[in-house]
Amino acid sequence: MYRIGVDVGGTFTDFTLLNDTTGEVLFYKVSSTPTDPSEAIQTGAREMLEEYRISPSDVSFIGHGTTVATNLVIERKGAKTALITTKGFRDVLEIGRQTRPHLYDYQVHNPPPLVQRVLRFEVSERLDSTGNELRPVDMAEVDAIIEKLIVADVKAVAICFLHSYVNAEHESVVRDRLRERLPDVYVTTSSDLLPEFREFERLSTTVLNSYSGPRMQTYLDRLARNVSSLGSPVIPYTIHSNGGLMSIPTVRQFPVRTCLSGPAAGVVGAAVVAREAGFENIVTFDVGGTSTDVSVIVDGEPQFTSNRNVADYPVKTPMVDIHVIGAGGGSIAWIDDAGALKVGPQSAGAVPGPVAYGRGGEMPTVTDANVVLHRLSPATLLNGKLKVKEDEARHVLDERVATPLELPLEDAAIGILRIANANMGRAIRSVSTERGHDLSRFALMAFGGAGPLHACDVAAECGIPTVIIPREPGTMCARGILLSDISLDFVRTLIKSASLSAWAIVKKNFADMRGQGAAWLEGEKVGVGLRRYVQFVEARYEGQNFEVAVAVPADADMSFDEFLIEFAKGHHAEYGYDIPGRTVEIVNCRIKAVGLVPKPRNDFHSDNRGSLADARIGSRAVLFSSNSGRIEAPVYERSRVPLGTEFSGPAIIEEMSSTTLIPPDARFHVDSAGNIIIVSMKAVG
Amino acid sequence: MSNVKIAQTGISRDQAMADPISMEVFSNRLLTITEEMGNTLIRSSFSTNIKERKDCSVGLFDKRGRLVAQASHIPLHLGSLRGSVQAVLKRFPVETIRPGTAFISNDPYLAGGTHMPDISVVTPMFADGQLRFFTANIAHHSDVGGSVPGSVSANARTVFEEGIRLPPILIVENGKVREDLLDLIAQNTREPEERVLDIRVQMATNDQGNAALDGLIRQMGIEAVEQAVGDILSYTARRLQMRIDALGNARGAFTCHLDDDGSGGDPVPVTTTVWVENGNLVVDFAGTGPQARGALNVSASALDATVFYAVKALLDPQLMPNEGMMQSIDIRAEKGLIVNARFPAATGARSITCQKIARAIFGAFRQILPADRLMASGNDDLPTVVFSAAHAKREGTYVYLETLGGGGPATGRTDGMNAVHVHVTNTSNLPIEALENEYPLRVDEYSLVERSGGAGRYRGGLGLVRQVTSLQDGTIFSARSDGHKHPATGVAGGGDGKPARLYLNYGQDGQKSLPSKVTHLTLNTGENIRIETGGGGGLGNPAERPEAAVRLDLENGYIGTGDLPLYGRTG
Repeated sequence: MYRIGVDVGGTFTDFTLLNDTTGEVLFYKVSSTPTDPSEAIQTGAREMLEEYRISPSDVSFIGHGTTVATNLVIERKGAKTALITTKGFRDVLEIGRQTRPHLYDYQVHNPPPLVQRVLRFEVSERLDSTGNELRPVDMAEVDAIIEKLIVADVKAVAICFLHSYVNAEHESVVRDRLRERLPDVYVTTSSDLLPEFREFERLSTTVLNSYSGPRMQTYLDRLARNVSSLGSPVIPYTIHSNGGLMSIPTVRQFPVRTCLSGPAAGVVGAAVVAREAGFENIVTFDVGGTSTDVSVIVDGEPQFTSNRNVADYPVKTPMVDIHVIGAGGGSIAWIDDAGALKVGPQSAGAVPGPVAYGRGGEMPTVTDANVVLHRLSPATLLNGKLKVKEDEARHVLDERVATPLELPLEDAAIGILRIANANMGRAIRSVSTERGHDLSRFALMAFGGAGPLHACDVAAECGIPTVIIPREPGTMCARGILLSDISLDFVRTLIKSASLSAWAIVKKNFADMRGQGAAWLEGEKVGVGLRRYVQFVEARYEGQNFEVAVAVPADADMSFDEFLIEFAKGHHAEYGYDIPGRTVEIVNCRIKAVGLVPKPRNDFHSDNRGSLADARIGSRAVLFSSNSGRIEAPVYERSRVPLGTEFSGPAIIEEMSSTTLIPPDARFHVDSAGNIIIVSMKAVG
Repeated sequence: MSNVKIAQTGISRDQAMADPISMEVFSNRLLTITEEMGNTLIRSSFSTNIKERKDCSVGLFDKRGRLVAQASHIPLHLGSLRGSVQAVLKRFPVETIRPGTAFISNDPYLAGGTHMPDISVVTPMFADGQLRFFTANIAHHSDVGGSVPGSVSANARTVFEEGIRLPPILIVENGKVREDLLDLIAQNTREPEERVLDIRVQMATNDQGNAALDGLIRQMGIEAVEQAVGDILSYTARRLQMRIDALGNARGAFTCHLDDDGSGGDPVPVTTTVWVENGNLVVDFAGTGPQARGALNVSASALDATVFYAVKALLDPQLMPNEGMMQSIDIRAEKGLIVNARFPAATGARSITCQKIARAIFGAFRQILPADRLMASGNDDLPTVVFSAAHAKREGTYVYLETLGGGGPATGRTDGMNAVHVHVTNTSNLPIEALENEYPLRVDEYSLVERSGGAGRYRGGLGLVRQVTSLQDGTIFSARSDGHKHPATGVAGGGDGKPARLYLNYGQDGQKSLPSKVTHLTLNTGENIRIETGGGGGLGNPAERPEAAVRLDLENGYIGTGDLPLYGRTG
């Protein structure tokens, strides 16, 4: 049987096909179809199955990463949405945390609220912080609001009341009335989506869910139709921002959870591939056309956060902690009016793209610098599908960068790369040192179309000793989908001083939440034996306003004293100290319900025992650094590089979706899973 | 372009960079170092002020005390670290400074500080046995002693009421912390355990910065590092010089007013005149009122910081904050003015006055900048409210402090932002659900003040309402704010924002309007406080506001039908 992973990106839709029995992995790529992304999934899957002569009935699984919800938010193309909230608080959505986005630039504004003020309705009702009712819901007001929703032709409603995380009753009553009166309107309550305290972030997440809900439903319907028209009986899964898989009914309910879909899958995949290659501590380095995604994997585990923004709107659901910067192959090099060379954040993107790609780009980009230096092929890319126009890249780089700076062309190109690499290196240092990690203990796993081209320089710049390039790095996110499990996160807020009695409540909460998780997993058709639960308590010292996560194993009975010890350890690890004797406050109980997806070990082995010379497909004169001069570097076809033996740079290794650049001093080998492992880089300057 | 070289800083304003690419790569590395330091400081500190509100900053200085790079989380710190480093160098000449030392200070008069709760730590960095750099950081501690919890009272008359005074002191010597001194400092505050934790974090932050600088010097070599530092400073100087030269011979002046000096009395004028002289931007405060009896006074460092902030925001928001930017700005203010107070005047509540200084500078530039870069005034008040009482859940007293945003200024291209902080601060609110879990208080309303933005082609931002009810007897309330008498003014035909208001028992028996500064008001169960912050000023003739925008504002209640005549429309 075969399993298919699909990652829908802005430019390309990538496929990974895994043979369940042999462990063999195959790759495929088609252009994306932005108006209906499921179209490219259907056509690409059909072409791929035909090319590899596989019957659709032999496909046992299709999982996909999607940017549909994110794009709805970025492009403001979601549904007309209303908000129902507690009397006195409809402007919380607009006030946010009352901060301005840029300290010095008053032209930079917060994004406009996704529900305009006239559609933000208030209801007389109130709970206190313990969930006691201070004022019941005024249903007459609710009915009057429903009339207004009908007149305004609203397609979606978000319901968020103060303190609903501790008592969902008021939200539920209003939700039920809306469903009864307006069955076609998409409704989200904050207590169903994210029963966690801190009203603005919960509200923002709830609004995004409702806003993206109706159109996401349309998309999912089309997707299901398109997949079934392939002739495969499987129902597609969707990867969500925590790197887990969800069924279509769950995505319908929680579309906001898919906001970081593809990139999260890339990190999950990187963790698995790295672990199999013997690396537990990894920095993932995913360089695309317009941005670079960076993330840290510690002891084999991706790291999570619930403090991220999507298109500048806070989304509080747990996500893989990925740091995104505006630096990629399409980043534009420019000179400011005081004579400094800058790279990005403006990007030529996929269209018009770099000058060298001949799609109309007129501004010099990082890719153009790579072409001029012959780090990237000056002839063709994508297995010959893309002709490269080196002369035009040279001309633009000369005119717009080298001449104004009075530099030789090649020094200007090196300069652009040094600056781009410094920007990328800064992102890596930022994600790693923010948590106190020492980069000399990490390996850099580079993927995305341009990651392997920059990896060695960036690793040297950051003091990372090893670089790993997985197979077909341009399709890593699609591959990650095949390495993910089914999972969903649940949270409950319980703000209480830690005591034996509070601990008893925590235990009861977890038991309830495991029940909730089990019910969900049942719905996702996960067998009892494949269910796992990962539990955390978030706690803090009294008087603090930030929390430390303490793992509470689901299968062991952690005592209260053990919890206190673990909290102190966790606080020490995260902040460098603990305060013996100070009262601890419990804030949130979190649980992740996991349904293990059986994954055959990746037992693909390159059987290539030939010589390196057999893999050689040419050579070119590459400029690795400004003081070394051009060095003739052999070019190898990746699939034919022999297994196991260590070789020395310089070398260029090409495959369909990417080019790996190995500098003269470095040494490299291909491991049994087909990864390129590079060591002993030196900073290039 | 002028041909001046400023002798005291040695930074050229008109010299090309030796290596623009290395400069850019290097400035990236410096930003990495300051960002890492900032992350450590915020991540590891205990105080909510530092951790949650990010009321802290870090910086790198060269051995001459020139600011090379700074990561500021609030603009009021821009430049205030400079005061600390200069004070250290004055007290401890360079040749006496040894490896394994660090200095601590806070005093506005003895150590270039801005108010007592902001404690600085400065650590010298040695390479090959020679002093090369200083790393420094400053953080707002939640208490440094003095007459009131939190150490800031608008009523304080002198710095002696505002907590422990620290001139530059050796806190680390021969690689060892002077524990006795640290204990002395901590025991003069209300939460000694937290002070010790946070000061240790500050020292560790600089150590981390020094280690990163050491790595950089090993990688690049000291000559290359020093050349890149020179390039960064002269690049910044040159870039600001271009902005200043573009101003030509224009001159602008503006006067705004504090409602009072913190102890009642008449409004206090803050007057700024700006012009270009010898290639420098002169910012002159002649005409500004005398120093206050209360704590609204501004020290020299806080004045510098506010001027640097305003110039950066007005002329080049992306300009790197370093000595290259600061040397071309000539700040003139007589001693004894509220913007340059004499020892021992209290300075705890200086930020309200700093907001007015920013308002005056932005105002003066209205006569200088082209139309699309004009800006109205915003809610330049920085209202701070404090509720305090016995804790309901545990022993002790709680102190709940909140600063509030308001209407942002309309600009030549945009409406003002609604309900945001402007100018010298940008700290987050405390979520209502967090507040009600922690304190015996209930929030009745948190919303926009309708119709509060100044009318204009571009409308001023709306102020906000926060109404809080006490759930027990004996809650002590204080407020220090401004803008009740003098609203945010519009520009180029734009209208003024609505003034700020403060009420006791709003909408119930005994409703009363309160002045902008209130100390020690006792609230009993069920009594409320309502704060309405000011709206921002509008820009341009309101009649020229597009019809669709006016209708949308009306539909959304940002303006009312009563405002339509202002916009040259009828209902």
